[in-house]
Amino acid sequence: MPTLLKNLPSEIKKNKLKTGIFFGLSAYWLIIIFGTFTSL
Amino acid sequence: MEVFLPIAEVSVNIIAIFSLSGIVGILSGLFGVGGGFLMTPFLIFLGVPPTYAVANEANNILATSVSGSTTHYLKNTLDYKMGLMIVIGGVFGTLLGIWTFTYFKGIGKIDIVISLAYMYILAIIGTAMLVEGLGEIDKARKKIITKKKLHVHYWIHGLPFRMRFPKSKLYESAFTPIIIGLIVGFIAAIMGIGGAFILVPAMIYIIGMPTRLIPGTSLFVTIFVSVIVTFLHAFNYGSIDLILVVMLVLGSIVGVQVGQKLGESVDSTGLKTLLAVLLLIVGIAIAYDTFFAEHAGKEIVKIDVNNLNPLSMFIKKLSNERPTLYGLFSIVFAITLGVGAAFIRRFFSNLRKKYALKKS
Repeated sequence: MPTLLKNLPSEIKKNKLKTGIFFGLSAYWLIIIFGTFTSL
Repeated sequence: MEVFLPIAEVSVNIIAIFSLSGIVGILSGLFGVGGGFLMTPFLIFLGVPPTYAVANEANNILATSVSGSTTHYLKNTLDYKMGLMIVIGGVFGTLLGIWTFTYFKGIGKIDIVISLAYMYILAIIGTAMLVEGLGEIDKARKKIITKKKLHVHYWIHGLPFRMRFPKSKLYESAFTPIIIGLIVGFIAAIMGIGGAFILVPAMIYIIGMPTRLIPGTSLFVTIFVSVIVTFLHAFNYGSIDLILVVMLVLGSIVGVQVGQKLGESVDSTGLKTLLAVLLLIVGIAIAYDTFFAEHAGKEIVKIDVNNLNPLSMFIKKLSNERPTLYGLFSIVFAITLGVGAAFIRRFFSNLRKKYALKKS
């Protein structure tokens, strides 16, 4: 686990597209889940 | 160019409806998906109330699935026995779905339920397709070949009442297709979709059917599910608008043929990723419309039946006074259009083959 955390910045730099998609999808899901709770 | 829909009581742009149903039809033909999960949200964006969008899209799906199923029947790529087992589950699922629809309509929450259901379905399919599409592109770039297992066994395969399905060369429990049909019917009734996006993966990965029989059998099941959904919506809520159905059917039937032709010559891996992005965009647009957009109180326009044109007047009167006859007419009308389109396609296909033979 500590090695993974240490290597994380370089992994992010290597896979910019994948990181972008991961954060994009996370934000997307957060918006719809948050919206659902506020609208019900 | 605006057209007034006598049943939905809204005016819609005829060119917008034709173009959108054509584009969705092309996507359906290209990717082998029904397209209902895209067309219903588009109808809602165009101003058609969700309850009417769901019902009329179900009638449109009936026509396109009849058209596609007839083509597969002529090619002998359809497993009736498996299809009928899924239909048995589908009938119960549809009735359960209509009952749920009635419950939410009764408490005045049906519009939000439809919007939320679409948002989540589009988000789930979009995310899955995006991840799969990017993975495929990545593998193709790195030239990685993965071997997939031929058939994986789940708990569902251990159920009793095993029977033979000679056409698919399978021996498994009758409950497997029935349970899958139940889920598909339930979702179809609430959302006005054919359910191919659930049915097709389930047929491949859970039932284990041969790939060549899947599109035909899936369309065969969709016919029965959409017949029940169309009839129950017409009978219970009088929400089928034949003018809207004609526009949708004509646009999507032409689009599907164009899409199927394009699919023969285009590599769909990159396009699949684009479709995933499109689904996510539609999903977020529904989320914005549901959660953040200011909904100005829509005026309820009281329509005087005597001010409508003769065709609209006839449709409105028939729907109000004879809902059973109107529902049956909607079904027969969609089936006729679907079968007609399939035979026209076969005629042109034979003509092209003859021409090609003469040339060579």
